[in-house]
Amino acid sequence: MSSSNQKITPFHGGLHLDGHKQVSTQTPIASIPVPQYLHIPVPHNSEVTATVGEHVLRGQALTTSSNSMTPAIHASSSGTVRAIEMHAVVNRSGQLLDCISIETDGNDKSIEPLAALKPSADNKQECLDRLRECGIVGLGGAGFPTAIKVATDKSIDTLIINAVECEPYITCDDMLMQEQASRVINGAETLASIVSAKEVLIGIEDNKPEAIKAMQAAASNAERGKIVIVPTIYPSGGEKQLIQLLTGKEVPSGGLPADLGVVCVNTATATASYDALHQGLALTERIITVTGAGVKKPGNYLTRLGTPISKLLDFAETDHKVYQQLRMGGPLMGIPVKDTSSPVVKITNCILAEAAQPQHAEQPCIRCGDCVRVCPAKLLPQQLYWFTRATEFEKAEDHGLFDCIECGCCDYVCPSNIPLVDYYRHAKFEANNIKSERIRSDRARIRFEQREQRLERKAEEKAALRAAKLKKLKEREEAKAAQQEGTQDNKQDEIAAALARVKAKKEKTND
Amino acid sequence: MASNKDIFKTGLWDNNAGLVQLLGLCPLLAVTGTVINGIGLGIATLVTLVISCGIVSAVRNILRNEIRIPVFVLIIASVVTVIELIMNAWFHELFRILGIFIPLIVTNCAIIGRAESFASKNPVLPSLLDAFAMGLGFLFVLMALGGLRELLGSGTLLANAELMFGAGAASWELSLGDNYQGFLLAILPPGAFFGLGLLLIIKNLIDAKLEQRTNTADLATAVTQ
Amino acid sequence: MRQVLYALIPGTLLMSWIFGWGVLTNLILATIFCLGFEILAIKLRQRSVKIALSDYSAVVTAWLLAISLPPMMPWWMLLIGCCFAIIVAKHFYGGIGNNPFNPAMVGYVVLLIAYPLQMTQWLAPSHMVEALPSLANTLGVVFAGADLTIDAVSMATPLDTLKTELGLSKTLGEIRSTALFGTLAGAGWEWIAGLYALGGLYLVYLKIIPWQTPVALIAGMGVMASVFTLAMPDHFAPPTFHIITTGCILGAFFIATDPVSGCSSTKGRVIFAAGVGAIAYIIRGWGGYPDGIAFGVLLMNMAAPLIDHYTVPKAYGQSS
Repeated sequence: MSSSNQKITPFHGGLHLDGHKQVSTQTPIASIPVPQYLHIPVPHNSEVTATVGEHVLRGQALTTSSNSMTPAIHASSSGTVRAIEMHAVVNRSGQLLDCISIETDGNDKSIEPLAALKPSADNKQECLDRLRECGIVGLGGAGFPTAIKVATDKSIDTLIINAVECEPYITCDDMLMQEQASRVINGAETLASIVSAKEVLIGIEDNKPEAIKAMQAAASNAERGKIVIVPTIYPSGGEKQLIQLLTGKEVPSGGLPADLGVVCVNTATATASYDALHQGLALTERIITVTGAGVKKPGNYLTRLGTPISKLLDFAETDHKVYQQLRMGGPLMGIPVKDTSSPVVKITNCILAEAAQPQHAEQPCIRCGDCVRVCPAKLLPQQLYWFTRATEFEKAEDHGLFDCIECGCCDYVCPSNIPLVDYYRHAKFEANNIKSERIRSDRARIRFEQREQRLERKAEEKAALRAAKLKKLKEREEAKAAQQEGTQDNKQDEIAAALARVKAKKEKTND
Repeated sequence: MASNKDIFKTGLWDNNAGLVQLLGLCPLLAVTGTVINGIGLGIATLVTLVISCGIVSAVRNILRNEIRIPVFVLIIASVVTVIELIMNAWFHELFRILGIFIPLIVTNCAIIGRAESFASKNPVLPSLLDAFAMGLGFLFVLMALGGLRELLGSGTLLANAELMFGAGAASWELSLGDNYQGFLLAILPPGAFFGLGLLLIIKNLIDAKLEQRTNTADLATAVTQ
Repeated sequence: MRQVLYALIPGTLLMSWIFGWGVLTNLILATIFCLGFEILAIKLRQRSVKIALSDYSAVVTAWLLAISLPPMMPWWMLLIGCCFAIIVAKHFYGGIGNNPFNPAMVGYVVLLIAYPLQMTQWLAPSHMVEALPSLANTLGVVFAGADLTIDAVSMATPLDTLKTELGLSKTLGEIRSTALFGTLAGAGWEWIAGLYALGGLYLVYLKIIPWQTPVALIAGMGVMASVFTLAMPDHFAPPTFHIITTGCILGAFFIATDPVSGCSSTKGRVIFAAGVGAIAYIIRGWGGYPDGIAFGVLLMNMAAPLIDHYTVPKAYGQSS
């Protein structure tokens, strides 16, 4: 099965971009030697099990997590753990993160591979555990744990392999397919078995004829696996956009592809899943495209996770004087690299050294609507921008802020050079803050109300007690008073008697 | 207790009824087509304000709190009626031009506002002073706006002065000349809004400048000390 | 926005061919005044003058204002119009991108309300007079307030004439038999409108303006005109007459398409433009002013946020 007569449903908007892909597909994938130091960032919710000074082997897990869904990270070569401390990493906030630094010993010894697993509907949980143990996450850029993606209990009809790779410059999936098409197909088969998908669609952009040829050849022997050629429009490789292209259906807002009976996984992720299940290998390396201005040997490099970006640049013979900015990822969605000692991580698909571009100052939005025309999420980007500027985040949410996939199409076409996606990221952050703030204040309010009720109850009880006491006291006092009244009467009588006596005495003396 | 000078300055400038409190906009915008109209209504308002506030202040201690507002309104309405009759008798032409806006002085929020917020809480003399200052401030705004609109709209100033100041005043009229083609918009209602907006701009500019000057002066004294 | 200026050139050239030097003096003076006010405002607001002028928005405002006004406007009227357009309508509200009203139309309406007489007196088109005012005459009128030649050659626009004469209970046929009227609309005017439409189509072709806006505006006016023409053909001019006017065509392609003061979604833009067309027709028919495009635009500007509120398109994944 390898025909491509699948109906294509185009999505709204998108951009026709210059691919710049030939630059890095001229040479086969090369391996980067293991560097002296590897820095492996510790994910959230994870506990480091490795200790400083410990000797670790390639593939050995370094963390564990109480959250059963957080994938582990592994030593990507053998060596000694030298430090567990803050180290520069590539992220938008520019914050340092805890990293495990390993000094490699050059032997590159691995642990024993785990036993091969043959996925089927019966051992799904076992397969999910294996994916997590081997640290498999989405390698297309989002880094979402694959185990969670395929753990869905919804009935899945279609597994989509995202081999679109629509962002300019990036060619790591292209080269992977050209050189190792059968591994990709095997990976697709593996995942399809786990989710019991009836159909496997592999979407590839029509600007990769070599990869398409290789994949069609490989797929012809496979049970499932249909190559679907999609037009080259950015962002056809966005998960939601690819699903629309191939199935004609839209993932409901706030929902998951599984709601449509679809699971969508990146090419390299599928391959890594195959390695994890059939070879028992943890994810310790990936293919990374190094390209752009000043890179003398642009191409794709099989790189150990944790390798500093500077090593990669040096290996590709990059002239540091030529490029202006480094990005991890593509020109539209990539994250700027501020420190080249930052390590490559699981989601690093590309290191792009960008040439000097004329810098334009941000100008006022004139609501021209170019962004509306290109938005693949069918949003009104200019309205979102105005709401963000006016800090009306809830209104922005009403206008579909969270349906924004941050593809950067609006940024690209904006004639006023407004960094729109930065605004949306900020708005999402603020909107989430407001939400959690509201949850917190709701909780506080409930606590307060309960406390008030409690206090009131206590006060009532106290009042009742006091009333009872008062009543008792009153009764006692009344009783006392009654008694006293008796005595007082006596007293007055006595006084009267005394007075009478005095009077009598006086009268007597007067007389 | 604020000093007399403070009360006067507040009414005229700091808390001007027209430019800061933005009260009494209805007559302010409606009758300021010419300076004389502005002065006419301004004086009527001023007199009403002074007399009403005086009475309100005098009776403030014998009024039950619950019914004070209706009583204020009654007092103001009586005063306005008297003034209306006086104008009808002695300034009949002007009375006809100002028309409905004289009885409508009753509803001028600036008056009830002063009665409520100042006269009902202060002795008679300060109340009279406050009312006079407020009324004068309002009068100046009416005059300024009237002047602006008259000058732009018909190219004259003090037209029809004889209606108010007698026949001898007919010669007071200033004109930009017969060639001036009136900027009709200024006379029409939108012109009143534009004009008021301009006056607001000017006032805020002056205030900002004054504040800047005091700030620099403070800074200077601070530095020398 | 330079393309918008290019698109206006053919119509403007024909307009000055038909009405003489007065069109060009309007254009030149308005451009100078608008640029001057723009620079002044930007300087006062302490922004970069270079960036502010580089988008040509002030020039576009000046041109739209200049060609909407009768030719040979005295310089001081243009000054007032440009001041209201740039200072009041644009910079008082926060400069480009923040103005709720179309600046050129604000300038036009201010002048129309302030000087109704001068604003409804157009020069007669060249085919109705022996000679157009000479350059010297024009400059005299514009700068020195000379008045001598104007009575001889001034007259109302075809739209205005139509309205006045219908008011005198003449039939449509009688009115349109005079030399002021051509086959479809005003003689000469119809060609100017045609050239502006051509420029507008060029902008549609370049995707600088969405095609929906002009179509909706013309449809809004056309539907209204058709209904009344069908009901009383003697008393209401046919839709072609109403549509082929410079007001309608300029409004459809160049004024209602202003993105800043208009609506954001396609649906919103259609409602916006259709509303402009309908309101303009109502004002032409029953209002106090000869043309209603400017008022229609300003009124719909006011309604734009409301329309936006009710026409948010369904985002991806929100349809189900």
